[in-house]
Amino acid sequence: MHDPPATGGEQGAAVLSVNGLRKRYGSVKALDGFDLAVAPGEVTGLLGHNGAGKTTFVEVVSGLVRPDAGTVRISGIDALQSARAGRAARSLVGVAPQQQAVYLSASVRENLRLYASLLGLAGRAALREIDAVADELMLADVIDRPVGLLSGGQRRRVQAASALLGSPPLLLLDEPTVGADPQTRQALLAAVRARAAAGAAVVYTTHYLPELVDLGATLAVARDGQVVARGTQAELLADLPARLEVTFAGPVPAELVGRGEVASRDGTEGDAVLTLRTAHPTSALAEIVSRGYVLRGVDVRHATLDDLFAALRQTRPGVDHAA
Amino acid sequence: MLRDAAIRVGGMVRLNTVLLVREPGPLISRLVMPLVLMVMLRPLYAAALPGPATATAAVSTPGLTGTGQAVTGMAVMFSLLALSMVGSGILTERMWHTWDRLRGSATSAAEILVAKAVPALGFLAAQQVVVFGVGVVALGLDVRNAGLLALAVGMWVAMLLGVGMALGTLSRSHAEMAAAQDVGGLVLTGLGGALVPLAVLPHWVRSVAPVSPGYWGVRAMTSALAGDAGQVGRSVAVLGAVAVLAMGVAVWRIRRGWSRSKLL
Repeated sequence: MHDPPATGGEQGAAVLSVNGLRKRYGSVKALDGFDLAVAPGEVTGLLGHNGAGKTTFVEVVSGLVRPDAGTVRISGIDALQSARAGRAARSLVGVAPQQQAVYLSASVRENLRLYASLLGLAGRAALREIDAVADELMLADVIDRPVGLLSGGQRRRVQAASALLGSPPLLLLDEPTVGADPQTRQALLAAVRARAAAGAAVVYTTHYLPELVDLGATLAVARDGQVVARGTQAELLADLPARLEVTFAGPVPAELVGRGEVASRDGTEGDAVLTLRTAHPTSALAEIVSRGYVLRGVDVRHATLDDLFAALRQTRPGVDHAA
Repeated sequence: MLRDAAIRVGGMVRLNTVLLVREPGPLISRLVMPLVLMVMLRPLYAAALPGPATATAAVSTPGLTGTGQAVTGMAVMFSLLALSMVGSGILTERMWHTWDRLRGSATSAAEILVAKAVPALGFLAAQQVVVFGVGVVALGLDVRNAGLLALAVGMWVAMLLGVGMALGTLSRSHAEMAAAQDVGGLVLTGLGGALVPLAVLPHWVRSVAPVSPGYWGVRAMTSALAGDAGQVGRSVAVLGAVAVLAMGVAVWRIRRGWSRSKLL
């Protein structure tokens, strides 16, 4: 894992800054005061269950949906101020939407050439950029094939490549690796890391949490149309309890039974396991040891992003760093 | 700024042309069918049309011959391809979700529509030149004023492109669009007098025919053949108004955007 990066709210001028976004579809509040800032060079993993507002947020920032209220600033441009400002802001954004959006009867090169032209790239400069991105995402061998003849993973790479063209200062990648094979995933993650290292701000929504660890991403947790927690992975995981498993030689002592889950240990004669969830596993273990019980083993597992995601189902996480 | 816009439109035109050329069947059929039908139907139209002495301006262009009706009628009927080329092109992009990629870029709604229209316009111009060219060379069509004819054809095609854009942006599915095209085709060709000359249609059809843009398309072209600049002017003014209205609807619809609850 990389060193914890600063979040957009803490670092200098944010590339992306959204405040108070609200969007309602009939009786459904898709966004309900959504705030997020992303700094240059920062990869922000946007987490949340289905319906949390992630995709609506991406649609608003990419200009597809106009919010009922709120502001969107991209590199200082107020994207909602006017149609012209919106276009200027969108020229700074590379988007890989959740749904596959490529021209199936056109070749990879033809697809990328279109997206390069939308950035104002033409001629040799466009062709050089297309070749470079195709190399980066391992598409060089199929660049003249119709996209409709490519595998799902290759199509995903074409879609991602179209977002990476021109190295925009802001990347919005909405579940870019859904259904992707490991090769595609690794290629894409490497490309995202490279863009962030070069100073791009990246918003990355995913349900594959290890990807966020791999990217060293800061986290923004969305729920019910709001960002309810914002910070580095270490900050957000710090308040989640660790899992302490203590294996006893024999049954779990009666005075400890009520403190956690008790289970027998497979393959042993009478050994039992006590599982505790605690924010302070070292102290809890020290207390058990001090009572003189004979232990066969101890295992401590610190909270992971999976635990954070699971915690979202129940309560609002204890740490709230939302901007 | 202007350079970037030109690059964007150029890129979209290039890709739209590629997409059209990759599926040439509709283009070929729409080029060949009017030629075949105008040869087949010309004697029928010649027999059906009243002679120059009895025709009135309210019913038919004075002096319109069977050849004139056959060529203009088929040119109008098969130029309806513009509706499906533009409309289906937009709808297909919406289904592929590439439409949102365009809208999510620095491209304006007008640029997107222009880029959709240009390849269709190119093909339609070629189609009209072939139809009228064959009419003149092989069937002896008499064109009194080629400039007026070009104006009439150009405005007709612009109107079709506008209506096609509006349909492509308003339709929620291919089935809905197919239904709209069926009804639109009937209104534009049947009611307009492209398929059957108005002179032989019932009186009530003749009375309501001017509500159809097809009526003004046929009238503009047949008047151009006769060299009647006044009638051409009135007809292209109506067509131009419909074109502007339809394109305005399309631009408005694109700017408004679509929610995810639609059929596509």
